[in-house]
Amino acid sequence: MGLFGKKDKEQKPPAVSSAAAPAPVAKSHKRETTLDTTYFGKNLQIKGNVSGEGSLIILGSFEGEFDLKGRLQVAQGARIKGDIKATDIYVNGEIEGAVTASEKVHLDTTARIKGGIATPRLSVLEGAQFDGELKMRNQAARTSQPPSIGDQKGDSKQASPSSVTPDKKVTELK
Amino acid sequence: MERGKAAGSTSLLSKKVNIVGEIQGNEDLHVEGRFKGSIKITGNIFVGPTGVVEADVEANNITIQGKINGNILARQQLEIQSAGELIGDCSAQSIDIKEGAIFEGRSQMLRPKTSLASTQSGTKGHPK
Repeated sequence: MGLFGKKDKEQKPPAVSSAAAPAPVAKSHKRETTLDTTYFGKNLQIKGNVSGEGSLIILGSFEGEFDLKGRLQVAQGARIKGDIKATDIYVNGEIEGAVTASEKVHLDTTARIKGGIATPRLSVLEGAQFDGELKMRNQAARTSQPPSIGDQKGDSKQASPSSVTPDKKVTELK
Repeated sequence: MERGKAAGSTSLLSKKVNIVGEIQGNEDLHVEGRFKGSIKITGNIFVGPTGVVEADVEANNITIQGKINGNILARQQLEIQSAGELIGDCSAQSIDIKEGAIFEGRSQMLRPKTSLASTQSGTKGHPK
């Protein structure tokens, strides 16, 4: 027995445990006992605007807008119609509307999204459906794109006149 | 008696979450955050100590430990606990207001359905 235990330990590559971080998805279902996680059961229909902080799990249907600082989890069977903003968004249900995450979006196997996604990081599992436009937005990069790229790189390397260059751009735009 | 019926799951609106809109469904609801609009559920509502509800509320049993500002209908029981506050009219089959609770508004008692049925059958009994 002892030998087997040792073997198991040896076989585990240490890198995997840190890479397989998305495990908390499964855990968070049981976290409802603490009062931090807002939880909308599957027999609940909500219309309107939701805003605030903390993590939120939806199993029912929702129509309206979401603006959340924290994790939003759309469980399998859940339906959302409207625009969604959150820090990170785990989707296993249906969403019709724009999905905006400031950190990441994860589409699980039964996810169905109709609409745009904007997120710096995205992961998609096989089986997920996504109809729409994806923006891996990186705002700093985007604002510096429109002028000729070569010139800009030179400017940013000098770094000292960085406060001047944005003004120039503004005047050019005007 | 019917308390256990909709208790399959309890939805929670936590402390730092605000909702403006309406909630419907067949579920128990626990409110610790802020809600504005209307709530109509076939289940029980518990407004926790940090919960603030500005809405018309309809539910089976309503327990208030926080604040409700609006008219409420409790198909069964309304309970305002000592830290609770209800500003608005209430209709309920039975009410339980603890010492220290705040209630401003009108109260109307709902008669149990059985007695309603008996009065109806009574009126039927008069052909003229």
